[in-house]
Order: sequence, then structure tokens, then C-alpha cells
Amino acid sequence: MATARKSRGESLLLRYLVLGGWALVCLLPILWFLSIGFRPRTEVITPQPIYWPTFSLDAWHLLVSDWPIAQYLRNSVIAVVGSVIIDLILAIPAAYALSRYEFKGREDIGFYILSTRMMAPAIVAVPIFFLFKTMGLLDSVWALMLIYAAINLSLVTWIIRSYMLDIPKELEDAARTDGAGDLTILREIIVPACLPGIITAAVIAAIFAINEFLFTLLIASTSNAYTMSVALANFTGGSDGIIYNAIALVSFIAFVPILILVILIQKHLSRGLTMGAVKG
Amino acid sequence: MASIHLQNIVKRYGGFVGVQNMSLDIADEEFLVLLGPSGCGKTTTMRMIAGLEEPTEGQIVIGGEVVNEIDARDRDVAMVFQGYALYPNMSIYENIRFPLRMRGIPASEHDARIRKAADMVELGSFLDRKPGALSGGQRQRAALARAVVRQPQVFLMDEPLSNLDAKLRQSMRVQIKHMQRQLKVTTVYVTHDQIEAMTLADRIVIMNKGAIQQVGTPDEIYSDPANTFVAGFIGSPPMNLIEGSARDGRFTAPGISVPCPQFVQGKVTLGVRPEDCHVGGDNLQGQVYGVEPTGDVTYLTVLAGTKKIEVKAARDYRSDIDVPIGITFDPAHLYFFDEGGQRIRGTA
Repeated sequence: MATARKSRGESLLLRYLVLGGWALVCLLPILWFLSIGFRPRTEVITPQPIYWPTFSLDAWHLLVSDWPIAQYLRNSVIAVVGSVIIDLILAIPAAYALSRYEFKGREDIGFYILSTRMMAPAIVAVPIFFLFKTMGLLDSVWALMLIYAAINLSLVTWIIRSYMLDIPKELEDAARTDGAGDLTILREIIVPACLPGIITAAVIAAIFAINEFLFTLLIASTSNAYTMSVALANFTGGSDGIIYNAIALVSFIAFVPILILVILIQKHLSRGLTMGAVKG
Repeated sequence: MASIHLQNIVKRYGGFVGVQNMSLDIADEEFLVLLGPSGCGKTTTMRMIAGLEEPTEGQIVIGGEVVNEIDARDRDVAMVFQGYALYPNMSIYENIRFPLRMRGIPASEHDARIRKAADMVELGSFLDRKPGALSGGQRQRAALARAVVRQPQVFLMDEPLSNLDAKLRQSMRVQIKHMQRQLKVTTVYVTHDQIEAMTLADRIVIMNKGAIQQVGTPDEIYSDPANTFVAGFIGSPPMNLIEGSARDGRFTAPGISVPCPQFVQGKVTLGVRPEDCHVGGDNLQGQVYGVEPTGDVTYLTVLAGTKKIEVKAARDYRSDIDVPIGITFDPAHLYFFDEGGQRIRGTA
């Protein structure tokens, strides 16, 4: 009995050691650029290893004074939030139709919607550039909003659809005999019942949109439309060469919103990422 | 309040016939139970009355009006579902209120009606809770309250008790029957449980493979079954059905010999209920196969040839297995069925 308990305790300890070690490996880059971000510039570029770094806010001061970080963050937020709202407005009715109405080609349409995800984005990059150029929307946050919405629409539709498939048909039958029409059923019964799915889909879409790089680089050419992801890539720190500690700090700032979003939906995230795995 | 008429209803799903040529009149204020095994078309029939499915052929008339073209939301019909179908995001109060809002009933009346319906099913103190915080029985009562609250012309109940345990089922059964008598609303109730059917119904409709087998009061169904399906479906344990042959006023099968009417001839099936079999005598000669005391009655299984016959014996009856035994059948309660399973009735 005692041996059994001891070996159980040991196996638990081993488990924590292995998982903790793995977590450290995953977190290392983040800790690394956090540590660089708060060091003086000279310490970052010195070839000798430094075991006890000095804490410094130099990089932060440089950012605040020289770099329109607020503008970039604002662009990111407008484009991302706007795109998620567009996605939800379009995806919820589409997912409802795909999960509930019987019509010819329903499965094909569902697959077609998802298949738009399978194409390499670079394929449509040039046509999209000319499209937005013709519309006079280059270098604008609104263009980014539309592009993000278009990129993520299929995913959002598919995730919400998988949640809707899990709602018992009886609920709708009950609402119908209670006197509700299709739109009322969608608004009052279906949407509240799959709210976790809708939130998950929204957060996943937001994460993808925040990280979107290719199309943003294509459309945005000034700080009018620069989002964090593109500004980050263009950022070298200023006129006196590459300032590594500032780059590291900016990277960390860009990472924080995503971290918060992921923590918020941790519970639902794995479900959202395996969407349709059980019921397709 | 309304009567319901089904006229030559057919429901086909592709090549599969769910309901075949069904005609049925349900009187105003009647409690009608559709009874049958799963897949017999009883739920489909109910869903067609509700307007959740369209009949392929035939007419449905509710309260004198043909409702085939009327959408479920516009029929004055309330339905209780097997899985309760309470709206998970709403409190019980809002659940019960939902049909009132949908039907445009003035908001000033809502509160009084919701509380009255909730009190009727003894849920008055649970109105603030969400469905997830209630037990199965409470959820089913909430679903009943939601059906009752708007005083519909017709109640439809689709196996409402099948998710509850046996004890709760019994008390809910009484509650449903009481409520139906009190509200005097025409009710169609679907179940595969013959005890529910017998205890609740004014009339029972027994269905099998999409067709009506027999319509009658519980007494008629029990004491005057139309065919072997009905005979074998009703009763617990069900009627013994013994295949044999009849000639010159006597029915014989291995180990069995009983007098029968002269008009019963040839290959027939004898039906006799366990309570019409009595220990002693010589209509049946066999061996004891098993004895199951239940407290108020003892079930005895007798082997005659290769056929097992169920007998309801006295509560204190006990015996070892394989003991030879004789059984008498009550001659007033013997049923004979022809080769097609239909009841053979005297021409007299």
C-alpha cells in the first residue's frame, strides 16, 4: 500500500517535471524577448554572455516617443473587431441554414465554403490588390476589415455550424409549436444556445486577423493602415540602426492581446479547433 | 377545444411508408393514446397533427378547419416532447412565458397566467431557475406548464414520461390525467408503454408498421383484442399465444387440449391471458419451468411441449422446477385467431 502510494507520488512528480520542462521550452522565446526588451541596448548587442542583466526602460521610452504605436494598435483593433462583426452577421444565418434546412447540395455548399480555406493566400494576392486599387481602398483600414472578414468567414461559419448541429431538433420543434417563426427561433433559441460556439469562433477569427500579414502588407503602405503585425515587421527601431531591445518589446506588446484572448476561451478552444471532427 | 379528424393520412419517406392510410376521429375533450412499438408511425402521426411534418396524402381537420396548409406556429396546438425541449438559456419563468409572447397575448396577462400554470404543476417556487438546475421530473413539469399556459385547442404529448424513473412516472401519470380532466383539452398522447396507455386513455389506438391495428377503450382493447398483435402487446405478462389445430369443437396443441366453438376449424392460434389460467385440472399438462413470486402475485411458467405458458398463480404458490402440473383455462376467456393472426368471431 505504502509503496503503491509512493510510486504514485513519484509518477505524478515525473509528470509535472516533463510537462513543466516542455512548457518552459515553449515559453522560452517569449521570456527571451521579454528579457531583451527590458535591457539596455548595449547589453543586447554585446557578444559576451550576460548572466545578470540590468533592468532598463530605455526601449519603452524610445517607443513611446518615436513610434506611433497607438495608431497601429487602433488600426489593428478597428480592422479586427470590424471583421469579426461582419463575419458573425454573415456566418450565423449561413451556419443555421447549413445545419438545419434540407436542400439539394447542402453538403457540397458547406464543403465549398470550407474549401476556400485550403487555397494558398498568395494565389489571390495580386487580384485582390487590383480589386482594392480599383475601388480606391488601398492603404485603408476598411479594406483590411473586408479582407480579414473574407479570409475568416469560412472558418467562422464552419465552427458555428458544428455547434448548431449539436442543438437538439426538438428545441426548434417546441419553439415552432409555441408560435415562433424562423427568425425568432434563430434569435431567441439557436443563437443563445450556441453562444459558446459563437464566442469561440469570434476569438479564433480575431486571432487569425491580428496575425494576418500578407494582405496587410499588400494593402497598407503608411501608418494610415499599418497594423501591429506589419508595423512590427517594418520596425527596426529608428534612424540609428537596428534597435533589438525595442523590437523585442514591440513583439511582446503585439503578443499580449492574443494571449488574453486565448486565456479567455481556453476551455472552448480545443473544441473549436477540432470542429466538425465528430459530426461533419 | 376541438375535435380532430384524420382522413386517409399517408406519410411516405421516399420508398418507406411511415403511416399508411390512417383515418381516425378524436372527439372534443378526449384523451387519446397512440400506442405501439418504436417505428410504428405513432410519433409521425402526432408530428403531422402538430404541423411539424406534412402528410403525403390525406387531410387533417382540427376544430372543423382543414389545417394541412397551416404552419405549425399558426395551429393552436401545444406539444410536450420526450426530451422536455426547454430553452436552456431562459429561466423557467421565461420558458413558460415564451408561447404567450409568441402568440401576442397582452403582457399584462402574462404574470398571472404563468404563475397559475406553474402552480398547477407545483413548480411555483422554481420559476427563477434555469432548466439545467432542475431534476428530470421538474423539467418535465415545466414543459407541461409551458404547454398548458396558453390554453391551446389540442395537447400533443410525445412520450413525455419515458426519461423518468418508474416511481416518478407513476406520479406524473396521475398528474397529467388530472390536469387533462381539469382543463378539458383534447389530448393526443404517444407512448410505447402499455401501462401508460391503459391508465391514461379514454381510447387507445394500437399501431404497428404504420397502420392502425385496433381502436377502443382500454377495456375493449384488453378483453376483446382484434388480432394477435394487439393480444400480445397488451397485458403484463402478455397473453399466451399457442399455435395448434381445431377440429370438431376441440383445440389441440402439444400438451394442450381444450374445447372450442364449432366454427373454429383448422390451423388456429389460441390466446389465453395468464390470469385466466388456473393451477389444477387438465386443459394443459406440462412441467413447472419457473416460479417468480412478486409479493402480491406469483408468476408461474409452465412448459407444455416446447411452448412456455405464463400463469398468474396465487401469491403463496410455490413449486420446484420440472414438477408435473395441470392447468385449467377459463373457458369464458379464450380467444382464437386465424392463420393471418385475425380474431375468429362467431357468426351468431
